Amino acid sequence: MSTIYPRRKALNGIMMTLCVVAAAIGLAWLGLILGALLYNGVAGLNIAVFTEMTPPPGQAGGLLNALAGSLVITVIAVILGTPVGILAGTYMAEYGRFSKLTTVVRFINDILLSAPSIIVGLFIYELVVRPMGHFSAYAGAFALAVLVIPVVVRTTEDMLNLVPNALREAGSAIGAPRWIVIRSVAYRAAMSGIVTGVLLAVARISGETAPLLFTALNNQFWSSNLNAPMASLPVTIFQFALSPYKEWQQLAWTGALIITLTVLGLSIIARSLTGRREG
Amino acid sequence: MVSLEKIAPQQTNGRAKIEIKNLNFYYGESKALKNISLQLPERSVTAFIGPSGCGKSTLLRVLNRIYELYPKQRAEGEVLVDGQNILDRSQDLNLLRTKVGMVFQKPTPFPMSIYDNIAFGIKLYENLNKTDMDERVEAALRRAALWNEVKDKLSASGLSLSGGQQQRLCIARTVAVKPEIILLDEPASALDPLSTAKIEELIDELRADYTIVIVTHNMQQAARVSRQTAFMYLGELVEFDETAKIFTSPQEKRTQDYVTGRFG
Amino acid sequence: MTLVLTEQRADTRREKVVKRFALTDTIFAGISRAAAILVLVILGGVAVSLVVGSWEALSKFGFGFLTTESWNPVTENFGALAPIYGTIVTSGIAILIAVPIGIGIAIFLTELCPRPLRRPIGIAIELLAGIPSIIYGIWGLFIFAPFVQTTIQPFVIDAFKDIPVLSSLFAGPPYGIGVLTSAMILAIMVLPFVTSITKDVFDTVPAVLKESAYGIGCTTWEVIGRIIIPYTRVGIMGGVMLGLGRALGETMAVTFVIGNAHRISASLFAPGTTISATIANEFTEADGDLYTSSLISLGLILFFITLIILAAARYMLMRIGRKEGV
Repeated sequence: MSTIYPRRKALNGIMMTLCVVAAAIGLAWLGLILGALLYNGVAGLNIAVFTEMTPPPGQAGGLLNALAGSLVITVIAVILGTPVGILAGTYMAEYGRFSKLTTVVRFINDILLSAPSIIVGLFIYELVVRPMGHFSAYAGAFALAVLVIPVVVRTTEDMLNLVPNALREAGSAIGAPRWIVIRSVAYRAAMSGIVTGVLLAVARISGETAPLLFTALNNQFWSSNLNAPMASLPVTIFQFALSPYKEWQQLAWTGALIITLTVLGLSIIARSLTGRREG
Repeated sequence: MVSLEKIAPQQTNGRAKIEIKNLNFYYGESKALKNISLQLPERSVTAFIGPSGCGKSTLLRVLNRIYELYPKQRAEGEVLVDGQNILDRSQDLNLLRTKVGMVFQKPTPFPMSIYDNIAFGIKLYENLNKTDMDERVEAALRRAALWNEVKDKLSASGLSLSGGQQQRLCIARTVAVKPEIILLDEPASALDPLSTAKIEELIDELRADYTIVIVTHNMQQAARVSRQTAFMYLGELVEFDETAKIFTSPQEKRTQDYVTGRFG
Repeated sequence: MTLVLTEQRADTRREKVVKRFALTDTIFAGISRAAAILVLVILGGVAVSLVVGSWEALSKFGFGFLTTESWNPVTENFGALAPIYGTIVTSGIAILIAVPIGIGIAIFLTELCPRPLRRPIGIAIELLAGIPSIIYGIWGLFIFAPFVQTTIQPFVIDAFKDIPVLSSLFAGPPYGIGVLTSAMILAIMVLPFVTSITKDVFDTVPAVLKESAYGIGCTTWEVIGRIIIPYTRVGIMGGVMLGLGRALGETMAVTFVIGNAHRISASLFAPGTTISATIANEFTEADGDLYTSSLISLGLILFFITLIILAAARYMLMRIGRKEGV
């Protein structure tokens, strides 16, 4: 009796200490990664990064074409993917709330949500690049759009499900057809949540590299032709980081810092949007 | 017992606005309403009372077919409004609901301004210019005794109002689309006594122009606002009569037990 | 008379509006339904396109593709064994590292952490999941791998050099990059997924259950080990599988630090490759249809492995979700 309790207490102390250590490890990793990123990235941060093109090996330059390319591809992907995602989410939460199809789509969508992005790249390669015979910004945007859809579907459905049914009944009760109830009542009530979903999708795709490698490929120069290969920040980082040239490696670090700040900024904005909703 | 002085004398022309014939209602396999037949007179207030789960809300939800939003719910029998069977497949639901308005237990203001809450329903079926629309919104808000409280903040969100005000906003919204029948599903159960009194006053004013059906679990409320009362129990209509009779000399033992508080 | 006329006009207009409503409602319902079906079509399309793309390689190599270690673009002889092995080993080790730490963090956040710190620490851990994988890659290549090479590897090689099995497991020159380094970086990436799902399923435990355990004098650890973890076992497994799915398909972080060597080594310090790293490294440079087709075959294998893992994960999480609903 007298030895059992101290033993139990000691075991409890040990396990709880290990849990604290685990949390410390997690926080330490985040600190180490962000610290290294800031230290190495800020060193190369100057105006030329935003005003000059990616340089040939061994020369100074910037990331302008890569930044612009990323922006263009991301915008097109969001324009393509968001409507599909919102509409599918709408079907699942509204018209098809009780249908079998919804259960199936939810299951498949959750799988797409965590499917390897490189597989999506291969899919678009087979679907777009091979038939067209060349890499293109379009193909890159399609690949990213495929990644946008499941994120938006998921948040749209979740947010619409949070809208109280009483509100839908009230809309129907004054004679509004279903689609007007959805548009003017349900969407409005779920607005900040849906916007959050889109922001999270943008955050997700703005750092994606693998699906762009063999769709949009890369481009050393400025290009405004969507039907041709286009540079993007992640692919440029990939290429520059693995090169032996000091200038390129520095640009890779700086680019990495820009991407990370963008992604973390977007997720903090998204979080604060939903946070206010709850409050 | 409810004091008799509180029971409002009401006049009707006696014509039946709603005629329910042999109505059965099912949630999936289970039967929630059993062979209900009932006639509700025009421009008069009818109350449905009974213990929870007795089917009074279900019966109300048949009258504008709001149950159609959910699968596996179905009604059999006839519900005639002005002689037309609204359970008919050819009945357009949106049209039915402009004629039969509904106010819910919890206030349900739409996530938009006070003005737009009212204008929303009007815009669906009518093309009004700004002046006409302003007039309609004002008239609806006056009708719901809300105008004086909100006239200076029409662009504020409907959600910024108090619970009682929100409920009157919902009544104004319902009145604005010019229905003939108004269904009230426990409209005061989520409100404080003062707001409840205002809602009851309002119902009293509206009964001159509308056929009103109210579901309530509050017997005093039924006694105060209604002319006829239907007592329901386990999906059956036990007794339907003048409110005064139901509360003073009911025919059925079960009604008497309920109104005297012996069960429920 | 005029009143009747205006009323009639109003009625006909209402009827027109109602017809228009019915039409637009049907159209909107149809479009949204089509969008939902498109989600299914996308997954189906992925499967079909991968099968079509890999047909050439699979029909040439047959079942042997799975069991051949050789990967030779010059002689056009391709086998998937090395990347499959690399994928499974890196992900497996990553999970072994990430699960105890991830669950530990979840316990810390739900049971130990002072309330005001809960949210900031929780968000910090979730930020780990938000960092793009290429950032892990560049950090792994320039910061972590050199650290492993100069500090951890020489020490471990030296410490285990006389112990039979461990000496071959941790053998060879300290490259820095290699299988174990990749696995450790994967572990960091998977960590937030395990933590957040574990935290979520912990919340499904009814408070009365915990309270009655504390009520008979259990320590915090006993409540966690005997009540909470057994109660949420299926959900935690789901979270682990979800993390595993992530790790299996993770591309960029691994591509930077695995070394891209098509061979199976006993040593965890040796360079290796994974399916995704092979595709990322070689796809654009692959000349010849057979080479490309072989890479797509690798993609197909990865697709099926992750599909099964993720489906199992979702199924388990659905089960715990239903339990919560009751």
